[in-house]
Amino acid sequence: MNGQGFCYARGDPVLQAQKVSKIYALGKEKVKALDEVDFLSTQGDFVVINGPSGSGKTTLLNLLALIDRPSQGEVLFEGKPTSKLSERDLAFLRRQRIGLVFQTFNLIPVLTAAENVEYPLLLLNLSRQEREQRVRSLLEEVGLDGLGRRRPDELSGGQRQRVAIARALVTQPRVVLADEPTANLDSTTGKQIMGLLQNLNGEHCVTFVVVTHDPAVPPYAQRVLDIRDGKIQGERYVADRPA
Amino acid sequence: MWRIALRNLRRNRRRTLLALAIVSLGCSLSLVVLGFVERSKALIQQTTVQQYGNIQIADRALFEGDSEGLGYLIGPEDQELLTRWVAQFPEVRGSTVQLGFSSLLTFRRRTATVRGLGVVPENPVLDYNGLVVGGRGLRSSDLGAVLVGQVLAEELGLRPGDFVNLTATTAAGALNVLPAEVVGIYRFSSAEVERSQVFVPLSLAQTLLNTRGVDRVVLGLRSLRQTWGTARKLDRGLPAQGFTLEARTWDVLSPFYRQLASFFDLLFGFLIAAVFVLVFFIVLQVLTLSFLERTREVGTLRALGTLGQEVFRLFLLEGAGLGLVGGLVGLLLGVAFSLAFNAAAIPWRPPGTVQAVTLGVDFTPLVFGVPLLVSLLSTVVSALLPAGQMARLSVVEALRTV
Repeated sequence: MNGQGFCYARGDPVLQAQKVSKIYALGKEKVKALDEVDFLSTQGDFVVINGPSGSGKTTLLNLLALIDRPSQGEVLFEGKPTSKLSERDLAFLRRQRIGLVFQTFNLIPVLTAAENVEYPLLLLNLSRQEREQRVRSLLEEVGLDGLGRRRPDELSGGQRQRVAIARALVTQPRVVLADEPTANLDSTTGKQIMGLLQNLNGEHCVTFVVVTHDPAVPPYAQRVLDIRDGKIQGERYVADRPA
Repeated sequence: MWRIALRNLRRNRRRTLLALAIVSLGCSLSLVVLGFVERSKALIQQTTVQQYGNIQIADRALFEGDSEGLGYLIGPEDQELLTRWVAQFPEVRGSTVQLGFSSLLTFRRRTATVRGLGVVPENPVLDYNGLVVGGRGLRSSDLGAVLVGQVLAEELGLRPGDFVNLTATTAAGALNVLPAEVVGIYRFSSAEVERSQVFVPLSLAQTLLNTRGVDRVVLGLRSLRQTWGTARKLDRGLPAQGFTLEARTWDVLSPFYRQLASFFDLLFGFLIAAVFVLVFFIVLQVLTLSFLERTREVGTLRALGTLGQEVFRLFLLEGAGLGLVGGLVGLLLGVAFSLAFNAAAIPWRPPGTVQAVTLGVDFTPLVFGVPLLVSLLSTVVSALLPAGQMARLSVVEALRTV
């Protein structure tokens, strides 16, 4: 592991998509949002899926996050197929093994920053002591030490996204999926957030999958997949990442 | 979950306050009406027990009124056995015997049809002397004495000291007439009773009917609540003691009480139903709006791994929180209003009665429990539909909602 950069430990496959397609019905027409996409991420990966609006990147992220099911193909989590799992099993998998970061932060407005981070731990029925320790540690790690008692509306956009990142990591998941994490932030804050994700990837060796159309994001990845019209157009490895 | 539910209630304060106001109003109104019904029923219970005692033991023919002649009378030996047997029950405070009869009461040239009741004067269970407002009550030493109701006294122009003739049919079927002195005038809650009921010493009634029997044994219990349990025990024990008699409780003996209690229950039932429907629809609207605004939030919770049933429970908790807070506020408001109402001591004379009673509100566990339960139930039921809809939302669709 590298505290300042990527996780270089390579492990087993974490998330895999095998020829997944997603077809939406738009009135009488059927729209293919994803067309037989293959994807693989292993432990410690930092992958960016890059593409313009309507390219199918959020659809792919939803399938990888197990909050949607493909029309065709299979999504495997830690090598196991998920298509036969019930909604309940998928929910348990999400709460235990997957962290999510949203474009619009999606914090619960009635909870404080610390309570937002604590929420997924309540679903895991952890002890109060364990919850408090993890929340304190994560808030400190994302640079929000001392702001835990603030409500989301008392935080800046960047701070809110940091809370969301802490919430995604607090359950110690195998993978964190982020949907346009910089889209609602100014460029400076966006860079800080991506730097934070890069550091957390190095620190925790958690797989990160980030979808974006922000050209400033791919340089932070190890690997970039370009998606367009529902198909992966190419894959490249990033040689020079920002310090 | 409770934390999120309760904090969500504070989100849109105006809307929550509207819902709370409706729940509180409904709850306080229910408390006041139920408390009033309870007080009224307690007053009627009190007067009914004053009239009938707690329990009467008699032949079924007497209770049903389907006997020709006086075949239902209880002879002196059975009276003694029965009195000794019932005295063994710890709930029984005491017992007395009575003998009822139909009679003509004649004063000067005016005659009225009355129901006479021979009682043991000055007995501690039920002697009716407490009702006397003019003259005096019946005494153990009285032989030819009668207590008449004020309505009858006014109709016939009777005063204490006047003599009347009582005419009745004896057990053997002959006519018998006895003179009796009006020693006192009583008042009762019912004008009908005052018009038609007279009380005489048991000895006079037995002489008039030419019998040594009585038609019922009346029991006074230590507590009203013991009435029904004791009656069941008596009913089980009477055949074993060799009696073909039945025990009947005061509420069964008084059709008036039963009708009035049913009327009050119906009235209160309608009110509760109205409150329930009102609260249901208003809270349904409030919660539906409130839940719909949080569709995206539900998507987030579900995406984080919250189960649909946990989302359902969260929204139900919000409904329950609204019901609980509104209900508790409603109880406080209701108690405050009731205390003010009780302090005003408003008199009211119910139809068919001769004495005014003080209107008031009683506080019993039921008076607090039912309105609170209705508040909780109506808000939780209101939350069921929108909570179910939110729990079934597709995660992706919910997250797309703006």
